[in-house]
Amino acid sequence: MMTRALIEHIEGEASLYFDTRGEKITWAEIAFPHFRGMERMLEGRKATDALVITPRVCGICGHAHLMATVRAIEAAYAQAGYPVVLTRKARSIRELTLVLEMIQNHFKWLYLVILPELEKLGVGGLSPAPLKGAYAAAQATKILALFAGQWPHSSYMIPGGVTCDPTHLERIQAAGLLDELIGFFEKETAGVGLDALLSFASCREFNPLQSDLGRLEKGLIATEMHKKGMAYDRFVVLGEHGFTVRARLKHTRPMKADPCLVSTEPAVCRDETSHARNVRYGKHFYEVGPLARSISADTALIKNMHRRYKDSVYTRVMARAYETAVLLQHAKTLLAELELSEPSYVPPVPLERISATGEGIVEAPRGPLMHRMRLERGIVAEYKIITPTQWNLGSSVMSDPAPAQKAMVGAADIAEATFIFRSFDVCSVCTTH
Amino acid sequence: MRSRLFKPTLIWLQGVTCNGNTHSFLNLPYLPQLLARFEVLYHPLLPCSQSLEEIARCRRGCDVLVFEGAFDPMMERAGVTLERLVAYYAEEAGHVIAAGSCASFGGIFKAAAPERNSGLAYAGEHPDGPLLGKAGKVINLSGCPVHPEWLGFALMNIAEGRPISVDALGRPTALYRHMAHDGCLRNEYFEWKVDAEQFGRKEGCLFYEHGCRGPLTHASCNRTLWNGVSSKMRVGTPCFGCTEPDFPRRNLFETKTNMSIPEEVPVGVSKRAYLTMTGIAKSFKIKRLEERLTDDD
Repeated sequence: MMTRALIEHIEGEASLYFDTRGEKITWAEIAFPHFRGMERMLEGRKATDALVITPRVCGICGHAHLMATVRAIEAAYAQAGYPVVLTRKARSIRELTLVLEMIQNHFKWLYLVILPELEKLGVGGLSPAPLKGAYAAAQATKILALFAGQWPHSSYMIPGGVTCDPTHLERIQAAGLLDELIGFFEKETAGVGLDALLSFASCREFNPLQSDLGRLEKGLIATEMHKKGMAYDRFVVLGEHGFTVRARLKHTRPMKADPCLVSTEPAVCRDETSHARNVRYGKHFYEVGPLARSISADTALIKNMHRRYKDSVYTRVMARAYETAVLLQHAKTLLAELELSEPSYVPPVPLERISATGEGIVEAPRGPLMHRMRLERGIVAEYKIITPTQWNLGSSVMSDPAPAQKAMVGAADIAEATFIFRSFDVCSVCTTH
Repeated sequence: MRSRLFKPTLIWLQGVTCNGNTHSFLNLPYLPQLLARFEVLYHPLLPCSQSLEEIARCRRGCDVLVFEGAFDPMMERAGVTLERLVAYYAEEAGHVIAAGSCASFGGIFKAAAPERNSGLAYAGEHPDGPLLGKAGKVINLSGCPVHPEWLGFALMNIAEGRPISVDALGRPTALYRHMAHDGCLRNEYFEWKVDAEQFGRKEGCLFYEHGCRGPLTHASCNRTLWNGVSSKMRVGTPCFGCTEPDFPRRNLFETKTNMSIPEEVPVGVSKRAYLTMTGIAKSFKIKRLEERLTDDD
C-alpha cells in the first residue's frame, strides 16, 4: 500500500511515498516537485554573470554556489592556458566565509529542524528553542558579511580573488563576533568548552552534559536512532578544503576519489513527477555530508560513534552537530592567520579569451557541490550543477536504492522514516534547481 | 495606533523561490519581538500553528499575507495551485507583502521563465500580475533578497496600525526613496570621477567601469547595513540593482559607456549637465584620492 507524506520545512517541499507492512516501512520513493530552470538561464550570459545568478539557486547555501562558480571559471581559465593567480589571503577569506555559511546552516538545522522533530517522536525534556538557531546563524552571517558585504546572496568572489579589501579593523571586529558566537555555542549548545568538546574521543563523554547537544545525544539513543537509518556506509568527499580531505570511503577506509567518475540520471518516482536527479560515483550511490567529511578528516569522536553505531541516524546527526564545533575552530584559525598584506585580487586575462570547460567543487553544508561549465569566448554555452542533496536524496529502483531510500527501509512507521529522511538535512531548492 | 493586544494573523507563502527571503528575515535582530506581535499561522521555516496542508485547504484567511518568490499560476503547494492560494488569501488579507524582487517584479525566476512567471502586481515594471486589481494592498519590498530590516519595518508598521506610503512601484518611500549610492563609502571617488581601476581595493568608485548601479537603484543598503555591518559596495562588489524591476540585467560586472562616460547617468540628473560636470570634476587632480588609504597592505 502506497502512503504519501508531504515533507515541509526543508527549503521547500518533498513528497515521500511509502510501501508499508503493518506500520513498518518496506519501500520509499522520493519526489521533489518544483523546478526553476537555473542552469538554462545562464546560457548565453557572460560567465561572470553566473557569480550573481548561481547564489540564487539556494537561500541557505548561496555562498557555496558562488564559490563553486568562481572555481569553475578559474578552472576554465587554467584549461585555456591562462592559470589564475590566487593569493593566500584571497583563498583564506573565501574559505572563512564558506565555513561561516556552513556554521549558520548547522545551527538552523539543529534548532529549527532536528530538535523540534525529535520532540515529535516523543522525546521529553528537549525544550526546543528554534529562535536560538536563528540568533546563532545571524551571528555567523554577520561575521561573513564583514568580508562578503551581505548574506544571503553575496557575489564578492571573482576570478582572481575577492572584491573586498579588509583592514585590521574588520579582522578584529570579526574575531570579537566569532568569540561571542563560540561563547554562545559553549554555553547553550555544547555545555562544555570548545577545546574540551573537540578533544572528545568517545560518545560516553556526552553523558554528563546538561546542554542542547547532551539532550540531543540522549534523545537519539532514547528513540533508538543509533540502530536505525543505516545507508551504504560508503562516503564521498570531493571539495578541497582545510577542514576535510577529498576521499572516497568504504566504511572508514579511505581511497582516492576522482570527480570525473561522478554521473547523474533522472530520479525515479512512480507516483509523481520529480525533478530530482540521482548522482553516483562510478556505478554506486555514496553518502555525502558532515559524516563523510568527519570520517575522511579522521575525527576521533565521530569514528568512535561510527565504530559503535555505524552510519545510523545517530552518527549522521551527531556528525553534523559536532561539525559546527570543528568549523568554529577552523574559522578561528583562519581569522588568526589571515595575512592582510597580500593583494585581494590579481586580475586575470580578459574573459573573452577563454573558450574551455571548467569544474568547480566545494564542500557545501550538505556535501560536495559541483558546477561544470563550458565557455565560448567567455560566454556560458553549457552549465550543469550537481548538488549534495542529489547524492543523498535521490530516488531509484528497489534493486538499487539511493542512500536516503535505503536508510528509510525498515523504519517502524512513517514518523520515524521522515525523521530519518531529515537526518540528511534535506534541501528541496538545491535538489531541483 | 492599535492596541498591543491585537495580534494580526500572518501567513507566509512561497512561489518560485530560493528561500533567500526567508533566510534573510531570520537575520533580523529583533526577530523574537517581531514574531511576538503576530500570530504566525504558517511560515516555511519558523514555528507556526498550521501545516502547509492545512493552509492549502483555504478555510481561514489571515490579516497579513507575505509572499516570497515569483508567481507561477500553475505551481502547486501541497497540491493546490498558487493561483488559488494567492487569490484566496489576498482577498482576505488587509495587507499583502511581496517579499523580495521575485514577488515584487518577477526577479530571477521571471528571467528563468518569462512567459509564465511574474511578480504579484507587476511583471518587470509593467502593472501585470494576479493582484493587479488589489495593487493598493500590495507592498512591494523588492531586493534579492529583501533586507530583513525593510521587512521588519513594514510588519511593525502593520502591527502598530500605521499607514505605509509607497512609490509608483508600490515600494515604501521611507525605504526606497534613497539610492543605494546614499551612504556609500566611495562617494568621494564618485564625486571626483575617480574610478576603482580594479577590484579588491577599498579606493575608487565602481560606477564608472565595474557595473555599479548604486546611483540608479532605489534602495537603502548603505543607510541600513546588511547583517548590521556591511553592504556590497563596502566590500568592493558593485551594486547589481537588485531592487529594480529590470533585475537581473546582463553583464553585471561592467558599465556600458559612451566615450568613457557611463551610458546611464544618476537618477534625476540631465545627461548633458552630467557630461559637463564630469569634465570639470576630472580636471581636478586630488592627491589623496590617487593614493591608497591604509598601510595595512
